[in-house]
Formats: sequence, C-alpha cells, structure tokens
Amino acid sequence: MPAGFRLPEPSRFFIPHPEIEGSAVARQRLIVRLLAYKVSFTLLVFIALLVIFQVFTPNHTFFQRPNLFALARLAPDLGIVALGVGILMICGEFDLSIASTIPMSSFVFVKLLGTGVPLGLNLVVTLCVGVIMGLGNGLLVTRTRLPSFILTLGTMLFWKGLLYAASRMMPIGIRSWLPAGSWLENMFVGIIGGVFPIQAIWFVGFAVLLAVMLHFTKFGNWIFVTGDNETAARAMGINTNLVKIISYVGVGVLCAVVGMMQCLRIESFTANQGVGFELKAIASAVVGGTSLMGGMGSVLGIFLGTLTIQMIENGMILLGLPAFGIGAFIGAVVILFAVLNKYISRFSTR
Amino acid sequence: MADVRSVSTGKPDDGYLVRMVGIDKYFGRVCALKGVDFRVKFNEIVSLVGDNGAGKSTLIKILSGFYTADRGEIYFEGKKAHIGTPRDAKALGIETVYQEQALAPHVSIPRNVFMGREITKVLGIMDGRRMHAESMRTIERLGLQIKDTGAVVEALSGGQRQGVAIARVLYFKAKLVILDEPTIALSVKESQQVMAFMKQLRSEGISVVFITHNLFHAFQIAERFVVLARGELLADVDRKDSSVEHLSQLVISGHHEEK
Amino acid sequence: MSDSAPVKSPDTRPNRGFIGSLRRTRSLSTFIIAAILFVLFSVFSPGKYFATPDNLQIFLATEAEFGIIALAVGVLMIAGEFDLSVGSVLAFCSLTFVRLFSAGVNGVLALFITILVGAAVGLFHGIITVKAQIPSFITTLGGLMLWRGITLFWSGGQQQGLELENIPGLYAAIGGAKIGFVPIQFVWVVGITLLVVFFMSYHKLGNWVYVTGDNKLAARAMGINTDRIKIACFVLVGVAVGFVSVMQLFRASTFTARAGDGLELSAVAAAVVGGTALSGGIGSIAGVFWGAMVISLIENGLVLMRIPYWWTFTVFGLIIIFSVILSKIIEARRMSVG
Repeated sequence: MPAGFRLPEPSRFFIPHPEIEGSAVARQRLIVRLLAYKVSFTLLVFIALLVIFQVFTPNHTFFQRPNLFALARLAPDLGIVALGVGILMICGEFDLSIASTIPMSSFVFVKLLGTGVPLGLNLVVTLCVGVIMGLGNGLLVTRTRLPSFILTLGTMLFWKGLLYAASRMMPIGIRSWLPAGSWLENMFVGIIGGVFPIQAIWFVGFAVLLAVMLHFTKFGNWIFVTGDNETAARAMGINTNLVKIISYVGVGVLCAVVGMMQCLRIESFTANQGVGFELKAIASAVVGGTSLMGGMGSVLGIFLGTLTIQMIENGMILLGLPAFGIGAFIGAVVILFAVLNKYISRFSTR
Repeated sequence: MADVRSVSTGKPDDGYLVRMVGIDKYFGRVCALKGVDFRVKFNEIVSLVGDNGAGKSTLIKILSGFYTADRGEIYFEGKKAHIGTPRDAKALGIETVYQEQALAPHVSIPRNVFMGREITKVLGIMDGRRMHAESMRTIERLGLQIKDTGAVVEALSGGQRQGVAIARVLYFKAKLVILDEPTIALSVKESQQVMAFMKQLRSEGISVVFITHNLFHAFQIAERFVVLARGELLADVDRKDSSVEHLSQLVISGHHEEK
Repeated sequence: MSDSAPVKSPDTRPNRGFIGSLRRTRSLSTFIIAAILFVLFSVFSPGKYFATPDNLQIFLATEAEFGIIALAVGVLMIAGEFDLSVGSVLAFCSLTFVRLFSAGVNGVLALFITILVGAAVGLFHGIITVKAQIPSFITTLGGLMLWRGITLFWSGGQQQGLELENIPGLYAAIGGAKIGFVPIQFVWVVGITLLVVFFMSYHKLGNWVYVTGDNKLAARAMGINTDRIKIACFVLVGVAVGFVSVMQLFRASTFTARAGDGLELSAVAAAVVGGTALSGGIGSIAGVFWGAMVISLIENGLVLMRIPYWWTFTVFGLIIIFSVILSKIIEARRMSVG
C-alpha cells in the first residue's frame, strides 16, 4: 500500500455495535441495531422521502425524468459546497461565509471574461479567489482562537459589502463575452448524451475523491482527530492549525467551483448566488450524521444528506408549497436532525 | 505490620461522623465499587488513597450526592442518610472541594464563596457588604491573607484559590469536608499552605477526607489512611501503624503484602 | 500563614458596587466611542442633519428598539449562549400582533399575547439548546430560517397596515408619546437598562447568570440549576423581541415581512462592542447599552453620509471581527497571574 494509505477504521463510517451483555442482545432487535449506523439512518430517511414525494406529488412527477434531471443539475451546487463544509465541521469548525464566497468567485469569473483572458487562466484565477477567501477565514480562526461561527459571520458581511459595492448588485450576463459551446461550459455544465448533467458527475467525483482523502489517508485521520480532541491531536504532533486552514481553503475552492458552475449554468452572475447555502450546507451535513461537536461524520453521509435536503426543497415545490415555506422547513430539519443525531449517538455508544 | 480490615458492627451511632456500609456502584457493566465500607470519625483527617481506577472519586461522589450507590447505606451522625443530590449532601453538612475548585474565574471572591447561596436582603437582592465581610473573615480564619480583596478569582494564585474554595466550605459550617486531589496542581509552598488549611479545618471540629496520589502529603497530615484497589477496600490503617513505604507498597501491589 | 507569592497585579481596583472595575472601564470606553461618533456625525453629516431634532427623534426611537433587544441578547451571552434568530422572531411576533389586532382583539391583550408568543419561541430555543445539548448558534440559526419562513408563509409576503386610532392610550405608552423632546421608546430603553443593570449587579439571580456563563460546572456543583438559568435567558430574549415588535409596529404602523433582517448580527455586535465576552461570564449591561448606541450611530450615520448601504455590511463585518479580537486581547492582558 502506498505510504499514507491505510484501511479505514470502521468507526469512521459506522458506530460499532455497542458492547452488550448476553441477555440484552436478545432484547435488541435487528432494526434497532441497524439504526446504530448513522449513515443507514440517513439512508432510511432518504428512501422514505423518496417514496413520500413520489406518492404525493400530483401525477407522480417526482420520480420522472424531467424532475430527476433538474435535481441532478441543481443538487451538485449545494452538494459540492456541502462536502467542504461538512469536512470542515468534522475538524471542528464552521464556515458561515460561503454565501459570500460563491457569488464573489462568480463575479471575478465574469469580470475576467470581460477582459478576454484565456479561459484556462480564468479558471485558475477564480479558484484562487476561493483559496484566498478560505485562507482568510482559516488564518483568522486559527490565529484568534475565537468561535468560528462569529468570525465567519463577520467575514461573510465583509465580503458581501465589497461584492455589492463592486457589482452594484446588478447581474452580469456572460454571453457578450462567451459564445455558447466553449470547452469550459461543456466541461462544467454540459450534458452528456443529452440526458445526464455533467455537474452530477463532478459532484460524485468530488465526493469520491474527498471520501478517499478523509477515510483512507493520514491527513483524513488528522481531520477527525483534530475535531474530536484537539489537545490530544496537538500533543501527538499534528499541526491542527494547518489542518483547519487547509479545510477552510478546501471550502473556499469548492465554493469557487460552484460559483463558476452556477454562473455558467444560468449564464450570468447574480449577487444572490448561494444565498441561504450556509444553513443548507450545515443541514446537509447534519442530516448526514456529521456531529456538530466535530470528530464524527462521513462523506457518504454528507452526500446523502445533500440529496435529502435538495429533494425536500424540490419535492415541496412540486407539492405546491410556496417558496417561503422551504426556508422554514430547512430550519426545522436542521434542529430536528441535530437533536436526533444526539439521541442516536447517545443510544449507540453506550 | 498489621493492617486492619474494617468490619461494620451494624450498630448505629458508634461514634462515627460518617459510615458508608457495603457500597456497590456499577457503571453499565463496569464495577466501580464493591462492598466498600468507609468510616470517618468526628474531628479527624482521613486520606483516601489508591491507584487510578480504584474507585476513590466514585466513593466520594456518592458521599457528596453526585452519584447514588446501587447498594449499601450511608449513616451520618448516626442516622441513616439519603443523599440523592449535591444539595442533600450540603444540607447535611457534607461539602466538597473539587480539583478545579468550582470557582468562576471572572467573578469576585465574595460572589464565588456564596455562589448559589448568596446572602440576600429582600426579594433576592444580594447583601454585598455582608458577603464581602463574611467571606474575608472566613478567609482570615483559615490563615489565608489576600492583599487585594476586590480581585477576581482569576488573579489569585493556585494556593489562594484553593483557600477560597476551602473558606467556602468553612463558612457553610461543613461538618465533613471532602477534598479531591487538593494539592495536585500546586507548588510545594502552596501545597503546604493547603495542608495548613486542612489542619485549620480540623481544629474547628470539622472532619476532612482527602484524596491524593501524593503519599508524602497524605502522611504529613492524615491520621488514618484508607486504601482502595480495583473497587474494593484494601486496607484501613492508622498512621501509627504505617509508613509511606507501607502505603505505597499497598497501593502499587494492590493487595496485602505477605506477612 | 501569610501568602508571600508575589502577585503581578492586573487591574483590580477595589469593588465599588459594579462587578469588577474592568467592566466599568469597558462600558466607559464604549460610552466614549459613542460620544465621539455622535460628535463626528453631528459635525460631518451633510447639512449637519444628524443633530437636528427630527433626525434625533427618529434615531433615538429606532436605537431604543434595537437597544432593548441588544440588552436581552447581551444577558444571554453572559450566560454563555447565543440567539441568532431575533430578527426572524421579531417579524413573527409582529405578524402575530397584527393578526390579533385586526381580528379585533383588545390592544393590551394582543400585546401580552405577542409577548407570550415571543417567550414561547425563546422557551423552544432554550429547551432544545439546553436539553438536547445542541450548540445555541445552530439551534437559533435553524430558528432564524424557521420563523422567517413561517412569517413569510403566513403573511404571503404582504405588508399589512395597522389602525392605531382605536388604542390611543397604548399607542402613546409605547409608540407615540414624547417626554419633552425625548421619544417614549428611549425612555423605555433607559428604564429597562437601569432595571437590568440593577438586577445583574445586585440580585442573586444575576450572579447566577454570570457564574453559569463563567464556569458552568462550578455553578452546577454549587447547586445552581444552570439549565433553568439558560432557558430563562432565552425566554428573556423572546420577551424583549415580542415587546419591541409591537413597539416597532406602532412606530411604523405597518407590518413588513422582512422586518428585523440582519438584526441578530447587529445585536451580537452591540454586545461585543460593549465588552461582552463570546465565551460567557463577562459583560457589563451598561456596556451593551452603549454598544447598541455605537452600532445604531454607525448605521444612522452611514446613511446620512450618503454612503451606499452595502458598505454597512462590510463595516459591520469588520466591527464584529475586530471587537471580538479586541475583547480577547483585553481579557488576555487581565490575566497576568495564573
């Protein structure tokens, strides 16, 4: 095995079966023991929702091609970002500034289009925007040792103001500089064979990459340990500040990717790209079993969690609920799952 | 050297302040205490020693109301006692001084001393002047001098903080004071200071139980040593029948030495 | 036995009635900042409009509404928790009152019910945070979306006007009256501030709030029910929000579903600027009062100076970041002796 790789410990994915005395095992039903696996709970919810929406939407439009296609095109926006946010949560920090990072990268991207730089360079610079903003967050959090949610709320406001000032809140179309059919568009928002949106492949691709990193590599272990017990991690020589900074940069880069993807897809920059994402991303992670305290979570969980959240939003629209209600629902879902996670973990790690 | 295994006589009020009889405590499958008898006389200092996991902390947490024993009884001043919460213990006169002293760092000394039991005038409004006077008087009684009486606790040294915590239990007329590793984070000089506080408590008629790893400290001021090992009572010796070597032998080996 | 360990003296002037002189210093410096800003805007606002009676009255009234909520948020932060939902709950309570009142419910009764609704929301947040041990910023972040969504849903995003002629007494008491030059809202905030200052400094429950935030385990060991204290603080925030929602309604005489947007961050900023620690246990109520004044001055001042409103975001972002850093530095300097 190459250096740095090791087989994943089962405890990363699953909560191991609790040590139970002889007679108690008989009393534990299979279902209840299966529930001890956090990811399987998310899966259950996911499947349940799938069924519910399919049954209740008018004409059962939910599980049909047009809707699934829409889902596959939209979910990756949230999903790719949620992967980063979730991993950051595992190492014990939060980032509430993604709603500013996403449109900011989109803005830079469009502005660069206007200057005619080669697309490849544009791509690199846009990603760098994400790096810079992530680095800013990471340095701020690690140097000041202050609660990350307050600091990133601060940076969110800071960048928001700059963005609004620079863009005057006006949307900017891309077509004047970027004729349709460019390689960049095909790469990021193209549709394979006319049926399958490429964003979905990016989402799955990122998920697989990050899953390998998180669950199989040394660095991934460092992420878990930093979130679980930072003092212990430091004592073992792990540079926890670096771990956190890298995680923040990761979030920044993923936000830049999504900002650009969105821009290409809707063919313009708008200042309210990514609005509400910070809570949705946390919701996706929480629904996927990520602990709010850090140290626990899985990429698979975040993946399923994103699909669940996106599905809820999508399903509610199909069911005819007004858009206003969705935000409320997401809020309720976060609270509900945060509580549920607590009780599941309390139950399964006896 | 003889070590004496204590036997419960089953008769209440035989001159003991505290008698814990046949205490069992389980955490899930793990047995923390099994059949432990523990007694404290009036006006004595007892040291509770033993290696990690022996059950010392668990035993005193039962006595101070944090845990409830699964089996066994507690007698206080000869009467059977039910200690379900820390408030029950305090009501009886059992006070605990914790490792981290249970002090609020950014709050003044009087407010710390009276935390939760503030002296109030009408309607819950605090009597700051009395709180200040009473707390300072008690601190002096203990032999501790604090130069800046308006300071917040954070500004005090480790020994002084321990003193404040002990002054707290002294003021509230504790009959039994339990100290969990009182000297663990302190310098040599501060440790001596805290041990002087403990002697002061005893001279006020209060009994003291303290847990420690430091057998030298234990031997300096305790009159009796109770050794726990793996959840069971291993030995209960008076100072005159023991020595530091003897104690450490018991603690390390975890069982009686060959006679 | 004398204590001969030399004590490197941090700033610990004798206790003179407020808790710890350092808190006084912090509220004093916040007051100074507020005063400076006041003078600056009076002088530099175009046409010196800031200091005119018209503007000042509006300013004091809006500042008061904000200040009352900031006080409650400050108390909650001293207890060690956060509430990021206050803006949304404000809108929700606002709508509640409007619906009740339009349905014919007596004004005073509607006010009480609205306050109760706010308290109930606070209770909800508090119980979930404390009993399920979810970090309060997550619970209330969820609440932020939840209550805003419900408000939008219930109101259909529509504005709704209020007919206030029928309740002249109530209106005067909360919205319309003036004492000389000063609008009644400001009288309310000053009164409430004095009350809360007194309570936190002199009442035993005030001490319990401080120690709960400072060292929760110590408080519990001393028999204080920290769960109840925290939940009570959440309810306090809810009550404040309920009350202010009606106050604001009376002043604007219209309900808008977007009311209170961004309020939560400003409230936290006000508390932090006023010296409240993010970790709990430290804070002066007077400081929060002046902190709210500072924040409101900046908001009002930026508008008057014709600075586009989007710069307020950036300014607030910077204020939040620098205030929390400053608080930490001050705290670190205080702790010279371990």
